[in-house]
Amino acid sequence: MFELDLRSRAPIYEQLVDKIIELIINNVLKPDEQLPSVRVLSSELTINPNTIQKAYRELEYRGYIYSLPGKGSFVKPAVSGDNTARLQSLESELARIIAEMRYLGMPPGEIVTRVNDLLSKDKGGKMND
Amino acid sequence: MIEVERVSKQFQDLEALREVSLAVHKGSVYGLVGSNGAGKTTMLKLLAGIYKPDSGNLMIDSQPVFENEAIKTRCVFIPDILYFFLNYTIQDMADFYANIYPQWNNQRYLKLANVFNIEVKRRIRTLSKGMQRQVALWLGLALMPDVMILDEPLDGLDPVMRQKVKNLIIQDVAEREMTIIISSHNLRELEDICDYIGILHQGKMLIQKDFDDLRADVHKIQVAFSGEIPPALLEQTQTLYHEQRGSVLILIVRGAYSEIISHMQSYNPAVLDILPLTLEEIFIYEMGDNGYEIKNILY
Repeated sequence: MFELDLRSRAPIYEQLVDKIIELIINNVLKPDEQLPSVRVLSSELTINPNTIQKAYRELEYRGYIYSLPGKGSFVKPAVSGDNTARLQSLESELARIIAEMRYLGMPPGEIVTRVNDLLSKDKGGKMND
Repeated sequence: MIEVERVSKQFQDLEALREVSLAVHKGSVYGLVGSNGAGKTTMLKLLAGIYKPDSGNLMIDSQPVFENEAIKTRCVFIPDILYFFLNYTIQDMADFYANIYPQWNNQRYLKLANVFNIEVKRRIRTLSKGMQRQVALWLGLALMPDVMILDEPLDGLDPVMRQKVKNLIIQDVAEREMTIIISSHNLRELEDICDYIGILHQGKMLIQKDFDDLRADVHKIQVAFSGEIPPALLEQTQTLYHEQRGSVLILIVRGAYSEIISHMQSYNPAVLDILPLTLEEIFIYEMGDNGYEIKNILY
Protein backbone atom coordinates (compact mmCIF):
# COMPACT_ATOMS: atom_id res chain seq x y z
CA MET A 1 0.00 0.00 0.00
CA PHE A 2 2.94 2.32 0.44
CA GLU A 3 5.95 2.97 -1.64
CA LEU A 4 8.79 4.77 0.06
CA ASP A 5 11.61 6.55 -1.68
CA LEU A 6 14.63 4.93 -0.13
CA ARG A 7 16.94 7.19 -2.07
CA SER A 8 15.36 10.32 -0.65
CA ARG A 9 17.20 12.30 1.97
CA ALA A 10 14.12 12.48 4.15
CA PRO A 11 14.31 10.06 7.08
CA ILE A 12 12.25 6.94 6.54
CA TYR A 13 10.06 7.47 9.56
CA GLU A 14 9.22 10.99 8.38
CA GLN A 15 8.34 9.67 4.94
CA LEU A 16 6.09 7.08 6.56
CA VAL A 17 4.34 9.70 8.67
CA ASP A 18 3.79 11.97 5.65
CA LYS A 19 2.57 9.11 3.48
CA ILE A 20 0.02 7.90 6.01
CA ILE A 21 -1.21 11.44 6.68
CA GLU A 22 -1.65 11.90 2.94
CA LEU A 23 -3.68 8.68 2.73
CA ILE A 24 -5.83 9.79 5.65
CA ILE A 25 -6.42 13.30 4.31
CA ASN A 26 -7.36 11.95 0.90
CA ASN A 27 -9.72 9.48 2.49
CA VAL A 28 -7.92 6.43 1.11
CA LEU A 29 -7.62 5.28 4.69
CA LYS A 30 -11.13 5.66 6.10
CA PRO A 31 -11.96 6.70 9.65
CA ASP A 32 -11.63 3.78 12.09
CA GLU A 33 -9.91 1.68 9.45
CA GLN A 34 -7.12 -0.48 10.80
CA LEU A 35 -3.59 0.27 9.73
CA PRO A 36 -1.33 -2.64 8.80
CA SER A 37 0.49 -4.07 11.81
CA VAL A 38 4.08 -3.13 12.47
CA ARG A 39 5.21 -6.65 11.62
CA VAL A 40 3.38 -6.81 8.32
CA LEU A 41 4.50 -3.36 7.20
CA SER A 42 8.04 -4.04 8.31
CA SER A 43 8.40 -7.14 6.17
CA GLU A 44 6.51 -5.61 3.26
CA LEU A 45 8.76 -2.59 3.09
CA THR A 46 11.94 -4.19 4.48
CA ILE A 47 12.24 -1.51 7.10
CA ASN A 48 13.21 -1.82 10.72
CA PRO A 49 10.07 -2.47 12.82
CA ASN A 50 11.27 0.05 15.41
CA THR A 51 11.16 2.75 12.75
CA ILE A 52 7.56 1.89 11.94
CA GLN A 53 6.67 1.82 15.63
CA LYS A 54 8.14 5.28 15.91
CA ALA A 55 6.15 6.58 12.95
CA TYR A 56 2.94 5.19 14.46
CA ARG A 57 3.75 6.84 17.80
CA GLU A 58 4.29 10.15 16.02
CA LEU A 59 0.99 9.81 14.16
CA GLU A 60 -0.79 9.05 17.41
CA TYR A 61 0.84 12.04 19.06
CA ARG A 62 -0.24 14.29 16.21
CA GLY A 63 -3.78 12.95 16.51
CA TYR A 64 -4.14 11.14 13.19
CA ILE A 65 -4.45 7.64 14.57
CA TYR A 66 -5.35 5.89 17.81
CA SER A 67 -4.24 2.52 19.06
CA LEU A 68 -6.09 -0.15 20.96
CA PRO A 69 -3.84 -2.35 23.09
CA GLY A 70 -3.58 -5.81 21.58
CA LYS A 71 -5.60 -4.86 18.51
CA GLY A 72 -3.53 -2.42 16.54
CA SER A 73 -3.68 1.12 15.20
CA PHE A 74 -6.71 2.77 13.65
CA VAL A 75 -7.44 5.99 11.79
CA LYS A 76 -8.84 8.67 14.06
CA PRO A 77 -12.03 10.19 12.59
CA ALA A 78 -11.40 13.94 12.77
CA VAL A 79 -8.07 15.57 13.21
CA SER A 80 -8.03 17.66 16.32
CA GLY A 81 -5.28 19.40 18.19
CA ASP A 82 -2.69 21.96 17.35
CA ASN A 83 -1.93 22.38 13.67
CA THR A 84 -0.14 25.72 13.89
CA ALA A 85 3.32 24.38 13.11
CA ARG A 86 2.20 22.42 10.09
CA LEU A 87 0.10 25.33 8.81
CA GLN A 88 3.08 27.62 9.16
CA SER A 89 5.30 25.38 7.10
CA LEU A 90 2.57 25.00 4.47
CA GLU A 91 2.28 28.77 4.31
CA SER A 92 5.98 29.21 3.70
CA GLU A 93 5.77 26.55 0.99
CA LEU A 94 2.95 28.51 -0.60
CA ALA A 95 5.02 31.68 -0.44
CA ARG A 96 7.85 29.90 -2.23
CA ILE A 97 5.51 28.61 -4.96
CA ILE A 98 3.98 32.03 -5.49
CA ALA A 99 7.40 33.66 -5.69
CA GLU A 100 8.41 31.16 -8.35
CA MET A 101 5.20 31.72 -10.33
CA ARG A 102 5.77 35.46 -10.22
CA TYR A 103 9.37 35.01 -11.33
CA LEU A 104 8.26 32.88 -14.28
CA GLY A 105 6.00 35.73 -15.33
CA MET A 106 2.53 34.76 -14.14
CA PRO A 107 0.57 37.93 -13.29
CA PRO A 108 -0.86 38.16 -9.75
CA GLY A 109 -4.46 38.19 -11.07
CA GLU A 110 -3.84 34.89 -12.87
CA ILE A 111 -2.49 33.32 -9.68
CA VAL A 112 -5.57 34.40 -7.75
CA THR A 113 -7.84 32.91 -10.45
CA ARG A 114 -5.96 29.60 -10.33
CA VAL A 115 -6.21 29.46 -6.56
CA ASN A 116 -9.95 30.21 -6.70
CA ASP A 117 -10.42 27.48 -9.33
CA LEU A 118 -8.66 24.98 -7.09
CA LEU A 119 -10.69 26.08 -4.08
CA SER A 120 -13.99 25.65 -5.93
CA LYS A 121 -12.96 22.15 -7.06
CA ASP A 122 -12.01 21.15 -3.54
CA LYS A 123 -14.92 19.67 -1.63
CA GLY A 124 -14.65 19.28 2.09
CA GLY A 125 -10.93 19.31 2.64
CA LYS A 126 -10.06 16.50 0.21
CA MET A 127 -7.09 18.38 -1.05
CA ASN A 128 -3.83 17.06 -2.27
CA ASP A 129 -1.26 17.37 0.43
CA MET B 1 20.43 -7.12 25.23
CA ILE B 2 24.11 -6.65 24.47
CA GLU B 3 26.20 -4.56 26.83
CA VAL B 4 29.79 -3.63 26.24
CA GLU B 5 31.55 -1.58 28.87
CA ARG B 6 34.94 0.03 28.35
CA VAL B 7 36.35 -2.89 26.43
CA SER B 8 39.94 -2.74 25.21
CA LYS B 9 41.77 -5.16 22.99
CA GLN B 10 45.40 -5.13 22.02
CA PHE B 11 47.29 -7.31 19.54
CA GLN B 12 50.95 -7.13 20.54
CA ASP B 13 51.72 -3.44 20.16
CA LEU B 14 48.65 -2.65 18.08
CA GLU B 15 45.83 -1.17 20.11
CA ALA B 16 42.75 -2.35 18.22
CA LEU B 17 40.06 -1.06 20.59
CA ARG B 18 40.34 1.41 23.42
CA GLU B 19 37.63 1.55 26.07
CA VAL B 20 34.73 1.05 23.72
CA SER B 21 31.25 0.96 25.22
CA LEU B 22 28.04 0.14 23.44
CA ALA B 23 24.58 -1.17 24.15
CA VAL B 24 22.18 -2.92 21.81
CA HIS B 25 18.61 -3.46 22.95
CA LYS B 26 16.64 -6.60 22.21
CA GLY B 27 14.98 -6.40 18.82
CA SER B 28 17.17 -3.57 17.68
CA VAL B 29 19.40 -3.36 14.62
CA TYR B 30 22.72 -1.73 15.42
CA GLY B 31 24.89 -0.55 12.54
CA LEU B 32 28.60 -0.42 13.19
CA VAL B 33 30.47 1.76 10.74
CA GLY B 34 33.97 3.16 10.67
CA SER B 35 37.09 3.85 8.71
CA ASN B 36 39.22 0.97 7.44
CA GLY B 37 41.12 -0.60 10.30
CA ALA B 38 38.94 1.15 12.88
CA GLY B 39 38.35 -2.05 14.84
CA LYS B 40 34.91 -3.10 13.60
CA THR B 41 35.81 -6.72 12.97
CA THR B 42 37.68 -6.92 16.28
CA MET B 43 34.57 -5.60 18.04
CA LEU B 44 32.36 -8.18 16.33
CA LYS B 45 34.76 -11.02 17.09
CA LEU B 46 34.76 -9.96 20.75
CA LEU B 47 30.96 -10.03 20.72
CA ALA B 48 30.97 -13.46 19.12
CA GLY B 49 33.26 -14.74 21.86
CA ILE B 50 36.13 -15.46 19.50
CA TYR B 51 38.46 -12.95 21.14
CA LYS B 52 38.80 -12.37 24.84
CA PRO B 53 38.73 -8.74 25.93
CA ASP B 54 41.92 -7.46 27.63
CA SER B 55 39.84 -5.32 29.97
CA GLY B 56 36.26 -4.22 30.40
CA ASN B 57 32.97 -6.09 30.43
CA LEU B 58 31.20 -7.69 27.52
CA MET B 59 27.83 -9.25 28.23
CA ILE B 60 24.91 -10.69 26.32
CA ASP B 61 21.80 -10.96 28.51
CA SER B 62 23.95 -10.13 31.55
CA GLN B 63 26.36 -13.02 30.99
CA PRO B 64 29.93 -12.81 29.75
CA VAL B 65 30.27 -14.23 26.24
CA PHE B 66 33.76 -15.68 26.16
CA GLU B 67 33.74 -19.49 26.49
CA ASN B 68 30.05 -19.35 27.41
CA GLU B 69 28.30 -22.16 25.58
CA ALA B 70 24.78 -21.23 26.67
CA ILE B 71 25.11 -17.78 25.11
CA LYS B 72 27.02 -18.94 22.07
CA THR B 73 24.33 -21.43 21.03
CA ARG B 74 21.93 -18.49 20.74
CA CYS B 75 24.24 -16.32 18.68
CA VAL B 76 25.24 -16.54 15.06
CA PHE B 77 28.34 -14.84 13.77
CA ILE B 78 28.87 -14.52 10.05
CA PRO B 79 32.42 -13.27 9.53
CA ASP B 80 33.66 -11.30 6.57
CA ILE B 81 35.88 -14.19 5.50
CA LEU B 82 33.75 -17.28 5.54
CA TYR B 83 34.97 -20.68 6.61
CA PHE B 84 33.49 -23.99 5.61
CA PHE B 85 34.93 -27.45 6.12
CA LEU B 86 36.80 -28.93 3.20
CA ASN B 87 34.63 -31.05 0.89
CA TYR B 88 31.45 -30.37 2.89
CA THR B 89 28.21 -30.05 0.98
CA ILE B 90 25.45 -27.69 2.14
CA GLN B 91 23.56 -30.68 3.54
CA ASP B 92 26.66 -31.89 5.46
CA MET B 93 27.08 -28.47 6.98
CA ALA B 94 23.38 -28.36 7.91
CA ASP B 95 23.67 -31.77 9.60
CA PHE B 96 26.72 -30.56 11.46
CA TYR B 97 24.90 -27.47 12.76
CA ALA B 98 21.77 -29.48 13.60
CA ASN B 99 23.97 -31.63 15.77
CA ILE B 100 25.58 -28.85 17.79
CA TYR B 101 22.90 -26.15 17.93
CA PRO B 102 19.90 -27.30 20.01
CA GLN B 103 17.47 -24.81 18.42
CA TRP B 104 18.29 -25.76 14.82
CA ASN B 105 15.05 -25.56 12.85
CA ASN B 106 15.02 -28.07 10.03
CA GLN B 107 11.67 -26.92 8.71
CA ARG B 108 13.04 -23.45 8.31
CA TYR B 109 16.15 -24.80 6.62
CA LEU B 110 14.00 -26.61 4.05
CA LYS B 111 11.77 -23.59 3.56
CA LEU B 112 14.70 -21.28 3.00
CA ALA B 113 15.97 -23.67 0.31
CA ASN B 114 13.32 -22.11 -1.93
CA VAL B 115 14.66 -18.65 -1.29
CA PHE B 116 18.31 -19.40 -1.89
CA ASN B 117 17.75 -21.98 -4.55
CA ILE B 118 21.13 -23.71 -4.43
CA GLU B 119 21.37 -27.48 -4.79
CA VAL B 120 22.06 -28.84 -1.28
CA LYS B 121 24.34 -31.57 -2.63
CA ARG B 122 26.88 -29.08 -3.90
CA ARG B 123 30.20 -28.73 -2.14
CA ILE B 124 30.25 -25.32 -0.53
CA ARG B 125 33.82 -24.51 -1.46
CA THR B 126 33.07 -24.97 -5.13
CA LEU B 127 30.41 -22.27 -4.98
CA SER B 128 31.02 -18.66 -5.98
CA LYS B 129 31.81 -16.03 -3.34
CA GLY B 130 28.28 -14.64 -3.36
CA MET B 131 26.72 -18.09 -3.19
CA GLN B 132 28.91 -19.07 -0.25
CA ARG B 133 27.64 -16.01 1.55
CA GLN B 134 24.10 -17.03 0.77
CA VAL B 135 24.80 -20.44 2.30
CA ALA B 136 26.18 -18.80 5.46
CA LEU B 137 23.06 -16.65 5.82
CA TRP B 138 20.76 -19.56 5.01
CA LEU B 139 22.32 -21.79 7.66
CA GLY B 140 22.54 -18.86 10.07
CA LEU B 141 18.84 -18.09 9.81
CA ALA B 142 17.92 -21.76 10.20
CA LEU B 143 19.68 -21.69 13.58
CA MET B 144 16.94 -19.36 14.87
CA PRO B 145 19.45 -17.18 16.69
CA ASP B 146 18.50 -14.53 19.24
CA VAL B 147 21.50 -12.47 18.23
CA MET B 148 23.04 -12.18 14.78
CA ILE B 149 26.47 -10.67 14.43
CA LEU B 150 27.08 -9.84 10.80
CA ASP B 151 30.33 -8.59 9.34
CA GLU B 152 29.71 -7.10 5.89
CA PRO B 153 26.89 -9.60 5.29
CA LEU B 154 25.71 -8.25 1.95
CA ASP B 155 29.14 -8.08 0.42
CA GLY B 156 29.24 -10.00 -2.85
CA LEU B 157 25.47 -10.51 -3.13
CA ASP B 158 23.56 -9.44 -6.21
CA PRO B 159 20.91 -6.69 -5.83
CA VAL B 160 17.97 -9.11 -5.80
CA MET B 161 19.60 -11.30 -3.18
CA ARG B 162 20.58 -8.28 -1.04
CA GLN B 163 16.96 -7.25 -0.88
CA LYS B 164 15.81 -10.79 -0.11
CA VAL B 165 18.36 -11.21 2.66
CA LYS B 166 17.54 -7.85 4.22
CA ASN B 167 13.88 -8.78 4.12
CA LEU B 168 14.47 -12.16 5.79
CA ILE B 169 16.54 -10.57 8.54
CA ILE B 170 14.01 -7.80 9.16
CA GLN B 171 11.20 -10.35 9.38
CA ASP B 172 13.05 -12.12 12.17
CA VAL B 173 13.55 -8.81 13.93
CA ALA B 174 9.85 -7.98 13.64
CA GLU B 175 8.53 -11.40 14.54
CA ARG B 176 10.90 -12.82 17.10
CA GLU B 177 12.69 -9.68 18.30
CA MET B 178 16.02 -10.92 17.04
CA THR B 179 18.86 -8.54 17.84
CA ILE B 180 21.30 -7.63 15.10
CA ILE B 181 24.66 -5.98 15.07
CA ILE B 182 25.89 -5.37 11.58
CA SER B 183 28.98 -3.78 10.12
CA SER B 184 29.09 -2.39 6.64
CA HIS B 185 30.66 0.21 4.44
CA ASN B 186 27.55 0.44 2.37
CA LEU B 187 26.02 3.21 4.42
CA ARG B 188 23.12 3.66 2.01
CA GLU B 189 22.04 0.14 2.77
CA LEU B 190 22.38 0.45 6.53
CA GLU B 191 20.04 3.43 6.52
CA ASP B 192 17.00 1.30 5.67
CA ILE B 193 17.42 -1.31 8.34
CA CYS B 194 19.33 0.14 11.29
CA ASP B 195 17.79 2.06 14.14
CA TYR B 196 21.04 2.70 15.96
CA ILE B 197 24.41 3.70 14.57
CA GLY B 198 27.89 3.66 16.09
CA ILE B 199 30.90 5.18 14.36
CA LEU B 200 34.31 3.74 15.22
CA HIS B 201 37.57 5.42 14.34
CA GLN B 202 41.05 4.25 15.30
CA GLY B 203 39.77 1.95 18.01
CA LYS B 204 37.54 4.51 19.67
CA MET B 205 33.79 5.07 19.49
CA LEU B 206 33.27 8.55 18.04
CA ILE B 207 29.51 8.74 18.33
CA GLN B 208 26.64 6.38 18.82
CA LYS B 209 23.08 7.43 18.61
CA ASP B 210 19.59 6.56 17.61
CA PHE B 211 19.75 6.96 13.85
CA ASP B 212 16.80 9.34 13.56
CA ASP B 213 18.16 11.52 16.37
CA LEU B 214 21.52 11.57 14.65
CA ARG B 215 19.88 12.84 11.50
CA ALA B 216 17.62 15.29 13.30
CA ASP B 217 20.68 16.76 14.94
CA VAL B 218 22.75 17.75 11.93
CA HIS B 219 21.52 19.64 8.89
CA LYS B 220 22.83 20.73 5.59
CA ILE B 221 21.82 24.26 4.71
CA GLN B 222 22.00 26.07 1.44
CA VAL B 223 21.57 29.83 1.66
CA ALA B 224 21.92 32.51 -0.92
CA PHE B 225 21.57 36.26 -0.64
CA SER B 226 20.64 38.75 -3.31
CA GLY B 227 23.41 41.03 -2.07
CA GLU B 228 26.49 40.39 0.02
CA ILE B 229 26.55 37.51 2.45
CA PRO B 230 26.09 39.12 5.87
CA PRO B 231 29.44 38.67 7.68
CA ALA B 232 27.59 38.22 10.97
CA LEU B 233 26.07 35.01 9.69
CA LEU B 234 29.31 33.09 9.68
CA GLU B 235 30.48 34.66 12.91
CA GLN B 236 27.31 33.83 14.79
CA THR B 237 26.66 30.36 13.47
CA GLN B 238 28.43 27.30 14.80
CA THR B 239 29.22 25.29 11.72
CA LEU B 240 30.77 21.88 11.34
CA TYR B 241 31.70 22.79 7.83
CA HIS B 242 31.08 25.61 5.42
CA GLU B 243 31.75 26.16 1.81
CA GLN B 244 30.99 28.95 -0.60
CA ARG B 245 30.09 28.13 -4.17
CA GLY B 246 29.57 31.37 -6.04
CA SER B 247 26.87 33.25 -4.19
CA VAL B 248 25.54 30.13 -2.49
CA LEU B 249 26.72 29.24 0.96
CA ILE B 250 26.63 25.64 2.08
CA LEU B 251 26.73 25.02 5.81
CA ILE B 252 26.63 21.95 7.96
CA VAL B 253 25.09 22.94 11.26
CA ARG B 254 24.28 21.08 14.43
CA GLY B 255 21.02 21.89 16.16
CA ALA B 256 17.27 21.57 16.01
CA TYR B 257 15.51 22.20 12.72
CA SER B 258 13.20 24.97 13.92
CA GLU B 259 15.98 26.89 15.63
CA ILE B 260 18.15 26.80 12.54
CA ILE B 261 15.31 28.02 10.36
CA SER B 262 14.48 30.98 12.55
CA HIS B 263 18.14 31.83 12.99
CA MET B 264 18.74 31.78 9.25
CA GLN B 265 15.59 33.67 8.40
CA SER B 266 16.73 36.54 10.59
CA TYR B 267 19.31 37.30 7.88
CA ASN B 268 16.64 37.48 5.16
CA PRO B 269 18.16 35.08 2.67
CA ALA B 270 16.87 34.96 -0.90
CA VAL B 271 17.07 31.17 -0.89
CA LEU B 272 17.01 28.93 2.14
CA ASP B 273 17.00 25.17 1.88
CA ILE B 274 17.49 22.78 4.75
CA LEU B 275 18.25 19.20 3.85
CA PRO B 276 18.55 16.25 6.17
CA LEU B 277 21.97 14.62 5.88
CA THR B 278 22.48 11.13 4.61
CA LEU B 279 24.40 8.71 6.79
CA GLU B 280 27.25 8.91 4.32
CA GLU B 281 27.49 12.68 4.78
CA ILE B 282 27.27 12.42 8.56
CA PHE B 283 30.07 9.88 8.45
CA ILE B 284 32.27 12.07 6.27
CA TYR B 285 31.77 15.24 8.33
CA GLU B 286 32.20 13.50 11.67
CA MET B 287 35.37 11.88 10.38
CA GLY B 288 36.55 15.22 9.03
CA ASP B 289 36.11 16.63 12.52
CA ASN B 290 38.49 13.93 13.73
CA GLY B 291 41.20 14.55 11.23
CA TYR B 292 40.15 11.95 8.70
CA GLU B 293 39.24 14.16 5.82
CA ILE B 294 38.67 13.69 2.16
CA LYS B 295 41.45 15.58 0.53
CA ASN B 296 41.29 15.62 -3.19
CA ILE B 297 44.57 14.50 -4.53
CA LEU B 298 45.60 16.40 -7.61
CA TYR B 299 48.25 15.12 -9.93
